[in-house]
Amino acid sequence: MGEELNYTKAFDELQQIVADIEDGEISVDELSEKVKRASELITVCKSKLTSTEEDVNQILKELEKDE
Amino acid sequence: MSDSPKIFTLKQVVSSIRKTIEERYHQTYWVKAEMHKLNRFPSGHCFPELLQKEDGKIVAQISGSIWKHNFERINQRFISVVKEPLKEDTTLLMLVKISYHELYGLSLQILDIDPSYALGELQKERQETLKRLQKEGLLDKNQKIDFPLLPKRIAVISAASSKGLSDFQQVIEDNQWGYKFFTMLFPAYLQGDQAATTIVAQLKQIERVQDHFDAVVIVRGGGGEVGLSCYNNYDLCKEIAKFRLPVLTGIGHSTNMTVAEMVAFRNAITPTELGDFFIQAFHSFAVPVSDAWKNIIIHSRSLLAEANFSFNKKSAELKNGVIRSVKENNHRLYRSSQGLLTTVKSSLQQSDQALRRTEHKLESSSTALLREYTHIISTIEKQFPGLTKNTLTNNQIKLNQLMQSLKLLDPQNVLKRGFSITTLNGKTIGDTNQPISGDKITTRTATFTIESDVKSITKIEKT
Repeated sequence: MGEELNYTKAFDELQQIVADIEDGEISVDELSEKVKRASELITVCKSKLTSTEEDVNQILKELEKDE
Repeated sequence: MSDSPKIFTLKQVVSSIRKTIEERYHQTYWVKAEMHKLNRFPSGHCFPELLQKEDGKIVAQISGSIWKHNFERINQRFISVVKEPLKEDTTLLMLVKISYHELYGLSLQILDIDPSYALGELQKERQETLKRLQKEGLLDKNQKIDFPLLPKRIAVISAASSKGLSDFQQVIEDNQWGYKFFTMLFPAYLQGDQAATTIVAQLKQIERVQDHFDAVVIVRGGGGEVGLSCYNNYDLCKEIAKFRLPVLTGIGHSTNMTVAEMVAFRNAITPTELGDFFIQAFHSFAVPVSDAWKNIIIHSRSLLAEANFSFNKKSAELKNGVIRSVKENNHRLYRSSQGLLTTVKSSLQQSDQALRRTEHKLESSSTALLREYTHIISTIEKQFPGLTKNTLTNNQIKLNQLMQSLKLLDPQNVLKRGFSITTLNGKTIGDTNQPISGDKITTRTATFTIESDVKSITKIEKT
């Protein structure tokens, strides 16, 4: 679930940055840092869309464990 | 009448029973009874067990029979009206004829079964399930779960051979956006008597590994619309409603929605539509992410342009301000210097005049003073004539005497009188500069300088 929260957080943070920039809430001084952060968050989110970490065998093993 | 009793053959007895029953029950009757077991034989005939329960106890029981052609007709109508085949353990309204057969005994020969009544019974079950779930507050429990932002790990309850499963898989796996899902099949019966229990069992399995999943789907399709009453089963519906992951259904039919579909987090008419829902969820995530960069660039540019514009405006303002300020100060400085010049000139003139006045005053007062002193001096001279001249002559005499004495003290004059000066190592001889025999001493007279060696020394004691 840890990683779950990561991408959810990343998504929320990204949305916030975009909203802040759109609303002009970010000063020119902060802009470069925010844009850098946004690019990192986009990478995290995009990789989540196209990758999978679950393993059927692992789940089967867990199901057999207590039977 | 003879004493010996009349003896009947068994056939006579059963024939008599049969005759009596046929006479007594010559018509048909509508009977409500629970069909416990259908007991369909290979021949196609069925011999169901019929019973009636009161408070869970069997209070009446009788065998039934449905001939093959009747069964087939009844079953067809059931499937078309009730969307279910004839099912065991359900209460049915049947048209029966009481029959007695010499070989098979008493039974109710079932000529027809009312599908509307069966439908009503099924709807009653549906209503009861709904009512119970509502009473227990479970109706919308699953729907209140927060749906994961990215539902990418899906536990699929279906059958490997189900067309619904392949439809669903095709939509989510062959998507053109490259979205990657993880699915795992938990096989179960999807219709009929065993569906509810096997689906519940698989839900319990999934529950044990729920951390690996974001959502559960139940997909079915291609099997027609028969046998879906299991989705009104209370146990199944409760399990779905209470499930801690969102349970989504796509069991593919067009008639009344089942309770399972009603309590599910979301119901799609078909597995394909359900697959689309997952793709859509991914879009909802992916689109803002890919738009984010575009929006950031657009707004950053305009932010920078704005900043640039306002900077230029400010710097132009600053420049103008500085120029204006310098001009103003120049003017002020010029005015000030003009003022200063006038002030200084007038001040200088005033000082000049004052100076002249002072000069004039000084001149006149010093002339007066000089005149006064001259007068005083002349008065003194008149009163003490020769005073100053006498004093001067006396002093001249004293001075001449002093010069004479000084002349006598000159060492040259002393030497001339016969004295000499003896030195050792350039210094006069005394207590601090004592000669020893062998030293060279220098003696100076008025006319000579004599070098001599010391032979003996005798110190003169002071008296």
